[in-house]
Amino acid sequence: MGKHDMFMTDVLIIGAGLAGERAAIESARGGLNVILLSLVPPRRSHSSAAQGGMQAALGNTVMGKEDNPYVHFIDTVKGSDWGCEQDVARLFAETAPIVMREMACWGVPWTRVTTEPRIYDGKEINEEAEKVGLISARNFGGTAKWRTCYTADGTGHTVLYTMDSMVMKYGISVHDRVEALSLIHDGETCYGAIVRCLRTGKLRIYTAKSTVIATGGYGRLYGASTNAVINEGSGMSIVLDTGVVPLGNMEAVQFHPTGIVPSWILITEGARGDGGYLLDKNRYRFMPDYEPDKKELASRDVVSRRMMQHIRAGYGVDSLYGSHLWLDIRHLGAKHINTNLREIANICRQFNGIDPVHELIPVRPTQHYSMGGIRTNIHGQAYGLKNLYALGEAACWDLHGFNRLGGNSLAETVAAGKLIGARIAEFTKDVASNVSFSVVEEHLYIQQTKIDRLCSGKSGTENVYELCNKMQDVLSHHVGIFRTEGPLQEAVSMLRELHERSLYIGLRSAEGGANPELGLALRLPGMIRLALCITKGALKRQESRGSHFREDFPKRDDVNWLKRTLAYWPKDAKEPVLRYEPVKITELPPGDRGYGEANARSKSALK
Amino acid sequence: MILQCSYQKGEDNMQLQKMMTYNLRTDFITEIIQMVSGLLLFLFLWVHMLFVSSIWRGAGAFNVLANFMDRWGLLPFTIMFLIIVFALHIGTVLRRMPSQYLEHKVVWKHAKLIHHADTWSWVFQSITGTAIIILAMIHIAIVSFAGINAHLSALRVQSREFLIFYIVLLLLSEYHASVGLYRVFAKWGFVNRHSMKRILNFISLFMIFIGAITLGILYTLGA
Amino acid sequence: MEESGMTLFVVLNKIREEQDPTLRFDFVCRASICGSCGILVNGRPTLACRTLTKDLPDLTTLLPLPVFKLLGDLSIDTGIWFREMSIHTESWVHNDEKFDLTAQEERMDNEIALMIYEAERCIECGCCIGGCMMTNLKPNFIGAAGINRVARFMMDPRDKRSNQKYFEVIGNKEGVFGCIGLLACDDNCPVAVPLRGQITYVRRKMASVGWKMK
Repeated sequence: MGKHDMFMTDVLIIGAGLAGERAAIESARGGLNVILLSLVPPRRSHSSAAQGGMQAALGNTVMGKEDNPYVHFIDTVKGSDWGCEQDVARLFAETAPIVMREMACWGVPWTRVTTEPRIYDGKEINEEAEKVGLISARNFGGTAKWRTCYTADGTGHTVLYTMDSMVMKYGISVHDRVEALSLIHDGETCYGAIVRCLRTGKLRIYTAKSTVIATGGYGRLYGASTNAVINEGSGMSIVLDTGVVPLGNMEAVQFHPTGIVPSWILITEGARGDGGYLLDKNRYRFMPDYEPDKKELASRDVVSRRMMQHIRAGYGVDSLYGSHLWLDIRHLGAKHINTNLREIANICRQFNGIDPVHELIPVRPTQHYSMGGIRTNIHGQAYGLKNLYALGEAACWDLHGFNRLGGNSLAETVAAGKLIGARIAEFTKDVASNVSFSVVEEHLYIQQTKIDRLCSGKSGTENVYELCNKMQDVLSHHVGIFRTEGPLQEAVSMLRELHERSLYIGLRSAEGGANPELGLALRLPGMIRLALCITKGALKRQESRGSHFREDFPKRDDVNWLKRTLAYWPKDAKEPVLRYEPVKITELPPGDRGYGEANARSKSALK
Repeated sequence: MILQCSYQKGEDNMQLQKMMTYNLRTDFITEIIQMVSGLLLFLFLWVHMLFVSSIWRGAGAFNVLANFMDRWGLLPFTIMFLIIVFALHIGTVLRRMPSQYLEHKVVWKHAKLIHHADTWSWVFQSITGTAIIILAMIHIAIVSFAGINAHLSALRVQSREFLIFYIVLLLLSEYHASVGLYRVFAKWGFVNRHSMKRILNFISLFMIFIGAITLGILYTLGA
Repeated sequence: MEESGMTLFVVLNKIREEQDPTLRFDFVCRASICGSCGILVNGRPTLACRTLTKDLPDLTTLLPLPVFKLLGDLSIDTGIWFREMSIHTESWVHNDEKFDLTAQEERMDNEIALMIYEAERCIECGCCIGGCMMTNLKPNFIGAAGINRVARFMMDPRDKRSNQKYFEVIGNKEGVFGCIGLLACDDNCPVAVPLRGQITYVRRKMASVGWKMK
């Protein structure tokens, strides 16, 4: 242990995106010593890529008039297809407007209300004069009111930069370019993490009274994902590896309707929110036929399914990269596109050579978000292990259930950061630091042995990149938008085989240190375990709910399946063990969402 | 080991002498002196060119001007003015120039690497600036000792060495002045720098044209 | 190399997967949002992720951005540089008012919000720093990214710092008066932050402060 750098702190936060940083600020304000760990410099976190906005019921705009947290709550529950924890959703909806104003106070240049008239869906919208200068909002999918606060097209970017500026203001230590390899725990309590420095490849020990996972999602398990390349679910997998903490609802994977073909970069929901259309190969606007009420702006799961349904019906545009559809924003005009949608205009121009002012954008539903994650209670405390917390996309706080509304994830990171951060500050004060060194030694030894074995060249002959690509293929083809028993069954057995093989990876470069191949070799088995949790969860859940759509069980089944999957991975197991817990319904009993398959031809009555 | 939040660069270390002599405005004032002296030199260049081009109207006109300057003692005044302004310009500009061999290497490497026109123009600016110091000193020395007279000038231009000398000085000073003025606009704003560059290029070519004609007239006068 | 839409992101990953597994480079979002992949492509600072191979000549040279600490191959430590710069310039809103949980937000003119956003759009890729003659010569010069960062807070009415305070930070040769106006920053910024506009704004503002100062 002597040759390893060791850090002791009150709160160790793994992941310096929005959720991690917000929790760090709250903990630091509570008088605690905080260290933030990050794979990359904090401002490069994937939070920065969220272009669209954050939902909060401020009700400043005409189209958001009479909005309030209760309406936001209802939208969220419907969006989740009644899979969310209602007390969490309620708490979140009430906190969102506060954090939005707090971020304004800290420096986010939110787009403000102006009296300049806007044309939306053929109608002219004029804001009220007395609201000028307050935080504006745009329309997003699955919401009754216009509620999504934004800064032009760089919401995630500006909010993250502002958040990081506060991290600097409070002098919180950030250790970037490090990766947590495992949690230090004794099966009851968590004491910190074993961490690999990505500059030097050396292991470090971080011990903490409270450990917080805020590492984001696992998009990169899928080949085609809008996520950043660092989103490999490593936070979830080190938690799963403890054997005692479950991952919740891993089968709930969101596919965003508009990933650009073929680089799968996200085209923000703002494009449709601001009035963009989806067209098929005949340039026909097909969404109103499926969703007469919400059209392009039904919730993401519904729009994605409708798009795939339409492609399957033969209306897709053929291309080298498979069939796709068109997104049309030409009618919004050059000025609007070049200011409010500038980032996506740039993406079209630079990555596809398309000018969206005059041309159509090729899009297809693409993996985007993981509703599932480390299961926590409403205070952010992980199940099964004391002094371990999780929040943001990495967690299953369960705000999103089986489908997340656009603009709710960014808002969740900040709201949860504030709420859970305060809880962490409160609970950590009562924790005595009494980590036993033998526990630390044990975990350090396991990781060091793994690395030494890989670097010795005697660990096996499997090619790490090949295995990784295979895993991505299995998930993309068998565990996508439409799921059925047969392919899922097949996926489980293929993933089991891949998992077995991943334990015998042979590096082509025996180089230790900051070798990227070694890094992936260390992560991959954990990634495949996550893939197995997703696939097995999907296989067992014999109903369709939110983004989880089983063709062999196309209806929601509230009698048998109004419950949450909890996936455990006991030590040395070959596949996850699934348990279930009931979903908490406090206010809104299961009902009709007002869009989606159950409501295909009926106008929404619930609006 | 990795303490990221410590700003440990040189000048944050407390140095007593530095603290006691520190003036917040030093760099600002230096910058202003550089700019103003440069602008004065630019202005001088124009006036000079206009005066010299009086030769277009014959040796008489040229001499009238020269005599006028002589009578009112303007020549020594101008020379004093030039020496002071030159000194200020050189003194303030020197802080930008690479002073060590290693820095010279960095400048060349960087300019060759990034393929950026304005960066190259700065390298040439340093070179032309240095050359102008030497050439202009010779020019001033000759003029102040020999006095100004159309006949003398014409004779000088007859010698091939002097003709080349004047052509080189003309080209260098026009280039340096043009780029220098462009840089002032680039730094302070107000105008679109790309159109400014075009305008300044045009002006410089025009001035070079005037200078060339003037030299030509002097040459024929001498012959 | 002929596939349409192939970028250096794809190429470098292919090289790592098929030829040199130890090759180090940095990508995060691969969508020109995060600023991780600043690099010199044939000498020009740009983002690797959105450099299309079809726009490149047959022989292309990739070099890591200069000025920053080299971690290996094409990987550089821009994060540390920007963090030091941000802390040096105290890049946060200086405002002592306590946040009131119940109050309505303070109003702001949308034009000002857009102006702030224009400066805030910097993605810290370091292209302006790597391409700048001055940062290459004088490591303490904060470069266009630094000046732009200060501009962002200067135009923010929520930041209560005085002009004098700003002058102390960048009214010197490490700040805006160290800029010699070559504007490679403005020419190379991958996200087209109007860096020349920001630099001239700060320079004029600081000049007027310096002028009036006793």
